[in-house]
Amino acid sequence: MAKITIGIADMKASDDSADILTTYCLGSCIGLSLYDPVAKVGGILHYMLPSDSINPLKGERKPYMFGSTGIPRLFKACYQLGAEKKRLIVKVAGGGQVMNEGGMFNIGKRNYAFLRKILWKNNVMIDAESIGGSNNRTMYLRLSDGQVMVKLSREEMVLL
Amino acid sequence: MKHMDEILASIHQIPPFPQVVVKAMEIISNPQYIVSDLVEVIRLDQSITANILKLCNSAYFGLPRKVSSLKEAVVYLGTIQLRQVLLASGAKDIYDRPEKGYSYFVGELWQHAIACALMSQVLARHLRLPLDENSIYTAALLHDVGKVVLSTYVSQEFAEIEMIVKEEKLSFHDAERRVLGFDHAEIGGRLAELWKFPDSIVAAIRFHHEPEKSPKTFRLLSELIALSDGLVLMVGYGTSVDGLSYHVPHLLVDKLKLKKNDIEALMMEFQEEMDKAQEMIDVKDVL
Repeated sequence: MAKITIGIADMKASDDSADILTTYCLGSCIGLSLYDPVAKVGGILHYMLPSDSINPLKGERKPYMFGSTGIPRLFKACYQLGAEKKRLIVKVAGGGQVMNEGGMFNIGKRNYAFLRKILWKNNVMIDAESIGGSNNRTMYLRLSDGQVMVKLSREEMVLL
Repeated sequence: MKHMDEILASIHQIPPFPQVVVKAMEIISNPQYIVSDLVEVIRLDQSITANILKLCNSAYFGLPRKVSSLKEAVVYLGTIQLRQVLLASGAKDIYDRPEKGYSYFVGELWQHAIACALMSQVLARHLRLPLDENSIYTAALLHDVGKVVLSTYVSQEFAEIEMIVKEEKLSFHDAERRVLGFDHAEIGGRLAELWKFPDSIVAAIRFHHEPEKSPKTFRLLSELIALSDGLVLMVGYGTSVDGLSYHVPHLLVDKLKLKKNDIEALMMEFQEEMDKAQEMIDVKDVL
């Protein structure tokens, strides 16, 4: 069994059913997990900001920093390993918020809204999610069976 | 309820700020310092020496070749980076305690401290803040040092603090104050005082959740550390028990009329710096 860690602004996909993918430190970032139960292929993207429109050059250099450049790449990475779009199980964690009122620091919300929009445009449904609140999260994807677990700060691990 | 003075009185169990670092900083504060004097001092502490060599060889400092002796490291790094390495190394000694308390894993508080130091540098540079680079780095690295004290002394009260945060939606430091009578910023400030750090650093630590209360002379530094701390928490560096349960002070954001896009661009810059620093902070070992 290999434990594969996905850092902040990072993405990894695998077709080794012995692997467990893990991403820590999901604050306002989004952890997006895809899994194809037939091909036993899956991947996680951990992106920080919604769109690279603020700096397209950086989007090219650090594509996993942004939803706009990271999300399509995660799907493609899974397809390349044999996953099929219609079988993909999509789970999401993160999008946490600090306690401020008003919108200045609501990057978590914007990250999540961006994800909803891009998935909706591409006819992809979210199967399960753990979103928002002033929580940090850790997300695990077990490739043998596609089980996704989420650990919230201050709480027990839950099955997503 | 434990009183802060009681805790501070028994603070001998908290590691002192490494004296080797303090002495070395004194030496390099003289622009004409003699390298061998400095090496003599640092050599007394093996773990600091090892830290310096390791940090010095990390991608973050980007030296042209691998450095294997302390003297070489000192010569290569130059004063500004040397100061940063010394402080980072001293802070590592303080933060990497086995007590759980705030952290889920050892190294987490240090990771957060380094992230905050990088973020505050990015902010200061981009926003052209008239602040001294040393003070920024020191204050940012040490801002959460009070958590080390609390992790050691009030571990039993944690459950209560966490419950209040969850049920009453109080910010973490307000909940600390309710349960303990003080918060981690306050005790951190007192500790920095005991360690004889300058008033600006003490104020920045003390007021990093309420910079509006900082004495006027030190307010900008306090505001910078407060904002850096908040942004770094948002990105996810500092996945401690307190999570995102804070109000991020936005005095600086208001003052400089920053927009959402500015904040995002700054976070982006920061993450690039952090990517470079990953090797330095050994995040993989930590996780």
